[in-house]
Amino acid sequence: MGETEVSNPFREDLVSRNLAETCSVVIFGATGDLTHRKLIPALYNLAVDGELPAGVKILGFARRDWTDEGFREGLEKLNREVSRTGHDEEIWESLAANVQFHQSEFQDEEGYRRLAERLDEIDRERGGKGNRLFYIASAPAFFDDILLNLKKAGLSQERPDCEGCWSRVIVEKPFGTTLATAQHLNEVVNGTFQEKDTYRIDHYLGKETAQNIMVLRFANAIFEPMWNKEHIDHVQITCAEHLGMEGGRGGYYDKAGALRDMVQNHLLQLLSLVAMEPPTDLTADGVRDEKVKVIRSLRQWDTPELVAENVVRGQYLKGNVNGEEVPGYREEDRVDPDSETESYVALRCMIDTWRWSGVPFYVRMGKRLPKKATEISIHFKETPSVLFNATPGGVPAGNVLVIRIQPDEGISLMMNSKLPGTTLRMEPVKMDFRYASSFGKSSPEAYERLLLDAMAGDATLFARRDEVEEAWRFIDKIHHAWAEEGKGIPIAEFPAGSWGPREAEEMLARDGRTWRRL
Amino acid sequence: MGAPGGDFKMSKVTYTERENLGVPVEVGAIDRELRKLWEADDASTNASLMNFLVYTEDPEGLQKNSEMIQSLTQEHACRAVLIAMNRKASEASVKAWITAHCHLAHGKKSICSEQVAFLLQGKSLGRLRNTVFAHLNSDLPLVFWWQGEFSELFEEGLYRLLNRLIFDSSTWRDPLVGFHRLAEAREDTQGRMVTQDLSWTRNYFYRLAIARLFDDPIAQQNFSKINKVFIKAHPSQRMAALQLAAWVIERSGWKLCSLQEGIWLIESREGNEISLEFDWCDEAAPIAELVISAPDCRVAVSREKGNSHICQAICTEGHCVDFSGPADSDDPEGLVASQLSRGGKNSLFMEVFPQFMKLLEEDC
Repeated sequence: MGETEVSNPFREDLVSRNLAETCSVVIFGATGDLTHRKLIPALYNLAVDGELPAGVKILGFARRDWTDEGFREGLEKLNREVSRTGHDEEIWESLAANVQFHQSEFQDEEGYRRLAERLDEIDRERGGKGNRLFYIASAPAFFDDILLNLKKAGLSQERPDCEGCWSRVIVEKPFGTTLATAQHLNEVVNGTFQEKDTYRIDHYLGKETAQNIMVLRFANAIFEPMWNKEHIDHVQITCAEHLGMEGGRGGYYDKAGALRDMVQNHLLQLLSLVAMEPPTDLTADGVRDEKVKVIRSLRQWDTPELVAENVVRGQYLKGNVNGEEVPGYREEDRVDPDSETESYVALRCMIDTWRWSGVPFYVRMGKRLPKKATEISIHFKETPSVLFNATPGGVPAGNVLVIRIQPDEGISLMMNSKLPGTTLRMEPVKMDFRYASSFGKSSPEAYERLLLDAMAGDATLFARRDEVEEAWRFIDKIHHAWAEEGKGIPIAEFPAGSWGPREAEEMLARDGRTWRRL
Repeated sequence: MGAPGGDFKMSKVTYTERENLGVPVEVGAIDRELRKLWEADDASTNASLMNFLVYTEDPEGLQKNSEMIQSLTQEHACRAVLIAMNRKASEASVKAWITAHCHLAHGKKSICSEQVAFLLQGKSLGRLRNTVFAHLNSDLPLVFWWQGEFSELFEEGLYRLLNRLIFDSSTWRDPLVGFHRLAEAREDTQGRMVTQDLSWTRNYFYRLAIARLFDDPIAQQNFSKINKVFIKAHPSQRMAALQLAAWVIERSGWKLCSLQEGIWLIESREGNEISLEFDWCDEAAPIAELVISAPDCRVAVSREKGNSHICQAICTEGHCVDFSGPADSDDPEGLVASQLSRGGKNSLFMEVFPQFMKLLEEDC
C-alpha cells in the first residue's frame, strides 16, 4: 500500500487503508467528457462519503477560454445528472469553492509557469503541504507536451523547499498504441515523474468485482487448492458490448480496434488477476510483481500461422440489436468503408507456467454483440466417468465458477444436482451471489476508488511500466502478423446482434470446447 | 410477493391488530410458513447476509422495530428476528408473525428479506435464548441489537453465540453498570463477540474529521503544544462525548490526571498540562463541537443542531481552511445501518475503553 510515514496519531486504526492526503488536483483536458462525467462526480462523491481530505483544490487546465464560474456551472450541471449519490447543495458548494479553471494551450510553456505560480499561491494560502496530483485526461496526442512542460515548469520534481511533499501523475488510457509508442511514453513519463509517482489508470481495476477476484481466490480456502491445471479445464474471459460506434467514437476506434482498445489493457489485467500466484503481501509492487509474471509467461503468437490458429478477428455486418436495425461496422459514422480494423477479437492464450501448463485462457471482446456483459468463467474439469455414465443423460457438465464484472456484478457457481424423482437424472443448478441483492448500498465508482488511492499513494490498482510494456509486446506480435500481406488471415464477419463469427466458435471446437452462453 | 417497497401481505389472511408484523403463525409452523411464503412467488429474490436480531423489553416495540427493519433491509438484506419481551405478564405465552420486506434493487429486481416477530409474555428460563437459536439461518453471522439496558436475560448462554452485539449506551439509566456488564461479557467470550455502542458510532465522522485535519503539517507541528480540548454536546449524548474525549486521549498517548471543578487535567507525553472541558447544552446537536487548541493553532469540528453536515476547520495565524463533510446519523436506525456497512472488529473501541471507563467513573 502507501509508503507515507504515519505521523498523525489519529489516523491509525480509523480506516483500514491509507487516508488520502490533501493536495491540489490539476486536470488536463478539463473541458472534456471524462472530467465532467467521471472525475468531478467521483471527487464529489468522495466528499459526500467524507473521504475527500479537507483543503483539496481542483484546477481544470484546458484550452478554452472559460471562467472559474462558467467551469463550475458546467460541472454542477453534469454532477446533478450523473452523480451516484445525487446532488447535495451544501457539499457541492463546499467542493465547488475549491474548483478553479486555468486557461492555457497544452503546448504553451508560459501557461505552465503561470500554473506553477498559481499552485504555489494555493499552497501559501492553505499553509499546508504542497502536494500535487496531475491528472492527464486530454487526448493522447498531448501527453508528451503536457509531461515535458510540467518538467520544464519544475512541477514534476520533489521540491527541496517542501519536505515530504509529493507530485504524482495519473495517465489515462490509451497508454501507447504499440510497444514502441508505449516505451516512448514511458520514457517521457519517467523522465518527468519517478515510477513510484506514476499512476497508469485502468478503470477496470477500480471495479468492485475486479478487486474481489483476489478476495475470492485468497480469502477462501476452498478455491486456491483447485486453482490450477489439475482441476481447471479452461478459463473464458468475455467482454461484450451491444453498442457500436455511436457518438462519433468510430474515429478513434477505427484507429485502435478491439485488441488495442480493450484486450491490451482491461482484459489482460483481468487475466493476470485470475492467473497470478498469491502475492507475498498486498503492497502495490507485491501484487504487480505477480501480475507481470503472468503477462510475461503468455505464449507469444509471433508468426502468421500461430496467429491464424489462435486469434480470430472480426467485424460485424448489418444486423439487429435489441430489436433495432443497426449498420455494419464499415458503414458506421467516421469508419473507413474499407477498414480492416477488428470490432471483434477472440484469442486463445496459453500461460506457460507450472500452474497453468496446458490450460487455455479464451479471451473475446466485441462490439454489437447481443448484450453488454463482462465476465470471467472458470470451467472446472469433469468428474471421472465412473459412477454416473449409465444414468440417462450422463453427467451434464463440469462445474463453472462465473465472476461477473459488469453489469449485475456477482459470482455464481454451476453444479450438478439430482432431479427430483425416482430415477437418477442430473441437471446443472446455479448458486448465485449478486452484489445488488446482497448489498443494497451502491459500490463506489471505479474512479472514486482510483482517485482516492492516488491521493493516498497506493498504486496497487494501477498498471506498472513493465506490465504495460509486456502486454504491448504480446499484442504487437499479433498486429504484425495481421499486417503481413498474403498470409491469409482474413477478417471474419458476423451479423450484428449475434455472438461473433463462426471462426471463433471453431477455434474452441478444435479444442473440444464451446463459448459460454451469456 | 406483494408490492416492492412495501410489506408482504397475504390477501387471504385476516390481519391482527399488529398489521405491519405480517401474518400470525403458530410458533411450531414458522419454517413451513416461511417456505410457503417464498414458494408463492418466483419473481422476488430472498436475500440474506446475516441473522439480524432486534430485542426489546418494551412490548409495544415490535411495531416500531418492524418499520425500522423495512427501511434497514433496503441496504442490508437479512433474516430479521424481532423479539419483544413482556416480563411483567403473569402467564407465559408466545405469539409469532412472519412477513417479508421487499425493495426494488437498483430499480430492477425485487429483493426481499424475511422477518419473524415474536412477542414473549411472562418469565420463563432460557426462552429468549431458545427462541433465538431456533429461528436462525444456518451459517450466517448473528448480529444482535439489544435495545435498552442489559437485563438478567443478557446471559452467557446467549451472548457466547453472538457475532456482533449492538447497543446504545445513551439509553441506559446507569451506564457504569451497563459497561461493567459488557466488560464481563467480553471477557467471557474472550473478545470473540464484536461489541458496538451506537454512542461510539455517533462520533465516527468527528473522529474521521480530526484524523483528516491532523494530516495538515501545521496541525502536526502544533500537536505537542496542545493545551486545551473542548467538547460541546447535548446532555443525552454524554456517552458519545466521553468516548470521543477518550479517543483523543488514547490516540495522543496522554494521561488522565485529575478532575478539578468540572475540568479534567491531562498530561501530555512531553509533560505539558492539557485541560479537557465539556459543555452540556440542551440546545446543541448530539455532538456539537470538538475543539483542540494550541497557542498558534486551532482545530475544530462542529455541527449545528439539525444540520446533516459537519464543518471541519483548521486555523493558524495566516491561514484558515474549512470544509463541509457528512455528519453521523441522529437516529438509531441510521446509526445501525452505518455500523452494518462498516463491519470490522471495532478493536479501536476496545483500545479506547479503559480511558473511557476512567472518565465515566469520575463522571458518575
